[in-house]
Amino acid sequence: MTPSAQQRDFAASLHELLAAADTPSMARAWGRGEHPSGLALWRQLAKLGVTALAIPESHDGLGATAMDLVVAFEELGHHAVPGPLVESIAVAPLLAPPQWLPRLASGEVIATVAPWYLDADIADLVLGGTPGALAACVDRTRRLFPAAGDLTEPAFNAGVLACAAQLSGLGRALLEMSVSYAKSRVQFGQPIGQLQAIKHRLAEVLIALDFARPLLYAAAFSGTARDISAAKVACGDAAYLAARTALQVHGAIGYTEEFDLSIWFSKVRALVSVWGTPAEHRARVMAAL
Amino acid sequence: MKIVVLVKQVPDSGAERNLRPDDNTVDRSSANNVINEMDEYAIEEALRLQEAHGGEVTILTMGPERASESIRKALSMGPDGAVHVLDNALSGTDALGTSRVLAAALQRINPDVVLCGAESTDAGGQVLPHMLAERLGIAALTGARKLTVEGSQLTIERQTEEGYEVVTAATPAVVSVWDTINEPRYPSFKGIMAAKKKPVETLSLADLGVSAEQVGWTGALTGVASHSKRPPRSAGQKVADSGEGGVQLVEFLTNEKFV
Repeated sequence: MTPSAQQRDFAASLHELLAAADTPSMARAWGRGEHPSGLALWRQLAKLGVTALAIPESHDGLGATAMDLVVAFEELGHHAVPGPLVESIAVAPLLAPPQWLPRLASGEVIATVAPWYLDADIADLVLGGTPGALAACVDRTRRLFPAAGDLTEPAFNAGVLACAAQLSGLGRALLEMSVSYAKSRVQFGQPIGQLQAIKHRLAEVLIALDFARPLLYAAAFSGTARDISAAKVACGDAAYLAARTALQVHGAIGYTEEFDLSIWFSKVRALVSVWGTPAEHRARVMAAL
Repeated sequence: MKIVVLVKQVPDSGAERNLRPDDNTVDRSSANNVINEMDEYAIEEALRLQEAHGGEVTILTMGPERASESIRKALSMGPDGAVHVLDNALSGTDALGTSRVLAAALQRINPDVVLCGAESTDAGGQVLPHMLAERLGIAALTGARKLTVEGSQLTIERQTEEGYEVVTAATPAVVSVWDTINEPRYPSFKGIMAAKKKPVETLSLADLGVSAEQVGWTGALTGVASHSKRPPRSAGQKVADSGEGGVQLVEFLTNEKFV
């Protein structure tokens, strides 16, 4: 249960696109409510087929597997792409009336869903209820419009799985940033990465991320609520550890909002508790055992 | 319109690259091998020509077994099929030998337009397009930053240091492109999935009617006699500015012919 050669190629293609897209600037603009650069990226993602993955072929989609979606969402998380990605790409295809599906697939329509109604101000299609007023989020790129609303069980599970994949990618990016910083930051006459205490912390993050990934892929494969919940807990824990460690390794600069680490850091903090808190998912695993 | 794009697999220019100590060839086994960057622009240009004028796009690669990864990657961008010239006797072939093999392969396909990158990031010779055009007896439109097609007439803007030259020729022709010509697309999900089903024809030297003596080490007219690492950078000269710093800076720049 590891990604196929084609899935790895797709991830590599997404990585190339996103690495060239300057996603940190885009995320900052998105958080200020300035959407043009983010929407331009959305159209590029649509060209690569990302928005069509979960749409059946009968409605102009790609009818891709849950594993294909997981691979894509890991990469979207890896680059901290802003916007209602989970909502529009993974969840809405399961809720939207069929006539909306072709335009969701082509990327012309962006959807959002209950109960946070992420980016409801730019969404063309709102599912599961009616959005409320704009509310603050620890991740400033997440523009929430919370209100009551309901999702079906399969739609919720699709959101949880995509969110877990995003967390896995976010954690990996945080580890990469920390490793590169530890190699270049010289203190006491040597790169701080040569200090054993730093090495140990980074190794623990790598282990956590590597041990979460099989759960993520297993959940994509089985699709059961128990596996999906286990993946969300493991990916959330690993990404959170990666975020906390990144903050420690970076020292003072890690705390500054202007430094790009803050974008990944705050997104992890937000995503750990949405699409079900860790406690709720542990309870779901417990109930299924 | 029948278009062939020449694609070479090269070691990633973003990483450290080495020559092998035993035979002075590029070390490809330890490197991360990728499509020569400039060739991606040639593929993109071919796909745009196809979208505008129809026809088919074929990738042509000469290289070892692992070059098939780059062929797949190229196909995932959208071309219809590929030809892989694969033969153990090709190891050590120089540019002249490569042009002999590729010309033989091109004669089989008989394309209207041959597109390629203006240079490879490993050898950087820029000679292959001209050699191919000479061998095939067709026009060479090289170093293009823009290509337009009207009927069988090809027009390029050839990029030069001062500006550009407009060069025209009738098909068939070889067109080499710089990275200023377009923005290559990223392989899409559909393209990647379709690539594994696209036909890749593997040809040996015998298939092409080229004898092993004409290529490889025996056929090479040029060779690398020896190589050494670039010397480490020496420390720069420090000038303490006591009112004369600006003058010394200008003198330095003048000596180095920067101004």
